[in-house]
Amino acid sequence: MSLRFMGHRKDTVCINVYLLAFSAAMPVVIGFEGSANKIGIGIIRDGEVLSNPRRTYITPPGQGFMPSDTARHHRAVILTVLKEALEQAGLKPADIDCVAYTKGPGMGAPLVTVALVARTVAQLWGTPLLGVNHCIGHIEMGRLITRADNPTVLYVSGGNTQVIAYSQRRYRIFGETIDIAVGNCLDRFARVIKISNDPSPGYNIEQMAKKGSQFVELPYTVKGMDVSFSGILSYIEDMSHKMLSSGQCTEEDLCFSLQETVFSMLVEITERAMAHCGSQEVLIVGGVGCNLRLQEMMGVMCKERGAKLFATDERFCIDNGAMIAQAGWEMFRSGQITELEDSWITQRYRTDAVEVTWRD
Amino acid sequence: MAAIEGEVKNESGKLEFSLDVPFPSSREAVIALRSLSPDREPRKGGIEKELTLSGSTLSVRWRADEARILRVSVNSFLDHLSLVLETMEMFGPPVSQ
Repeated sequence: MSLRFMGHRKDTVCINVYLLAFSAAMPVVIGFEGSANKIGIGIIRDGEVLSNPRRTYITPPGQGFMPSDTARHHRAVILTVLKEALEQAGLKPADIDCVAYTKGPGMGAPLVTVALVARTVAQLWGTPLLGVNHCIGHIEMGRLITRADNPTVLYVSGGNTQVIAYSQRRYRIFGETIDIAVGNCLDRFARVIKISNDPSPGYNIEQMAKKGSQFVELPYTVKGMDVSFSGILSYIEDMSHKMLSSGQCTEEDLCFSLQETVFSMLVEITERAMAHCGSQEVLIVGGVGCNLRLQEMMGVMCKERGAKLFATDERFCIDNGAMIAQAGWEMFRSGQITELEDSWITQRYRTDAVEVTWRD
Repeated sequence: MAAIEGEVKNESGKLEFSLDVPFPSSREAVIALRSLSPDREPRKGGIEKELTLSGSTLSVRWRADEARILRVSVNSFLDHLSLVLETMEMFGPPVSQ
């Protein structure tokens, strides 16, 4: 009787040990993103996106988003989005193993808003916290979704423009913008001719560009491995109203010409980085990365080189919470944790500042 | 909920402001302190902010050169505090340690 009882207990212990090992091997990570005008919270378990709700702060045509207004937007919806993320994943706070949030780069006030909630829930739920570099989030999400192994990465968004390749525990920046981001150039052009910001200025430019027929020559500014967009923006700001009012070209022609010019520049520096690294894979990430014309142009270049192109759609290209969860998951599994006192946000945070502890 | 001790000008000519925030228990007060502490003041100089804990009360003390800078910092702190409190209400109570 007593022997059987002991045997039974032993089994229970074994099962508990097994369950512990199982949950540690498949950690569930929640990711909080809010570095620009999107607020997103996503949950990832072992490479599977369990939920990824998002809200976008959309401003009227002709207006950009300011830090304090954007923070107010995020503040108003963040707890609802968090509730949605848990409900859609069918999880309780007790199921979460780690809380990841964007440490930077981005706009200060929105970053703080999101970090405050991440810090608070991590303490309420008794889980470790992880500060994630936003750019690394994009790269790791792109790698997860496309299964690209070791691609040359073109990261293009409203705040960033970089060509990146992995080498010796860093994502190294091979080329980047020397002034404004390509997405910023597109967004600000949209403001000049009052294109709607709903769902995004870039999406509306892309649709209008399809109807453009005349190519208007614009400055082409590749400088070695780097690119510059501010001169192109000034040029198009100055000439657009004159050319439009005199009927020399249409708004659609300008959208088309701007896209062709800036995307050619990006394809050129990406190709040069591939040649440097001997790489046969390209991964496009960031909000501008869901532009199908950019993907098409990059595809032509890749085909010529016998390389493979990887890209994702707007769910994962555009800022979202799951990308922060995914990068957080990689960091967490490799043993990283951010102590609360080190969890300050930072507006500037370069991609190559992070030691990549999760890749060989 | 919060006891405001008000704005005074001390001998050094600095403006001071202090605030006491009582919490249900010291556990919640610690969580709020640790959530609100990590980020530095956005501007360099002209303002000092100190967060301290005694039991279940979180105390904040500001010293600033100008009223405008003080007002911005206090306002932003109150916004942050209310977000932390609302998060605790919706996603608390804290798990037992």
